[in-house]
Amino acid sequence: MFQRESIGIEEAEKARDSILGALTNTDNPIALVIADDRGVPVLLYREDGAPARMLRRARAKAYTSANLGVNTVDFRDNEIKAKNRTLNDWGDPMITSLQGGIAIRNNGNVVGGISMSGNTTIRDEALAQIGLDAMGLK
Amino acid sequence: MINELVIGHADARLVAQAILDAAGTKNKPIAVAVVDNRGDVVYLTRQDGTSAVDVRNAERKAYTAAFIGRDTALWRQQIAHDGRTVADWSDANTTTLHGGWTLRRQSQVIGGIGVAGTGDEDRDEQLALKGAEAAAQISVDEWLTKRDPRIIRDR
Repeated sequence: MFQRESIGIEEAEKARDSILGALTNTDNPIALVIADDRGVPVLLYREDGAPARMLRRARAKAYTSANLGVNTVDFRDNEIKAKNRTLNDWGDPMITSLQGGIAIRNNGNVVGGISMSGNTTIRDEALAQIGLDAMGLK
Repeated sequence: MINELVIGHADARLVAQAILDAAGTKNKPIAVAVVDNRGDVVYLTRQDGTSAVDVRNAERKAYTAAFIGRDTALWRQQIAHDGRTVADWSDANTTTLHGGWTLRRQSQVIGGIGVAGTGDEDRDEQLALKGAEAAAQISVDEWLTKRDPRIIRDR
């Protein structure tokens, strides 16, 4: 027997509130996904005007971060580009290399994934990081 | 040109919160999904301990209620009456599990609510109805704030 640790709704809502507080007038309507350690959504949020495809992208980013335990930009640079692989190598249609997904860790263990879509991928990642910081994990 | 009424994120959060408040802590943990008129998620949340299948089913119930335009319990009766099955729609997201509730305004579908996780699909449906009641109250509140304040006979 062993135990797996995962984020819960309390951490997810902290992240949600901090990200919404950090949005500015220049940001596009956003989609936010916070997933547990297996990539299952804990909280999905799509602002008015954000196309549904943004939420699909964000889901894929959070799923990828949680299941592979990497930030999606690092996955893109280190696992795909650097090794000349393609997404098909993973055999999982939910895996994406779009920037903006961050693995959530606690004491070194992956406990979830957080991601954003709606803005530039760099801005998406910066906002996701704000959410991660607000969770107050070690 | 056409205009569609669609539930927004602020209302979706209020609906979800109303359901969670009604659920309390006596039920098994639940997942709540609120989708727009095309079945795409606007807001989804879950209580700690909710299983992955309940998260998926909450979304499927909400999707079905919005996309088909029928509360899922009613839809089950309808397709059974017609001698059909869910498979006839060729859409893996559709379900007749109770707990999907269609949101309407001015005879238009504006979204759907899905609740899953209590272990009793009729309880799921009761909770979804609490969300629909909250959504209806929102429109009443809006009307109260936006209406012409004069007494009707003086207008």
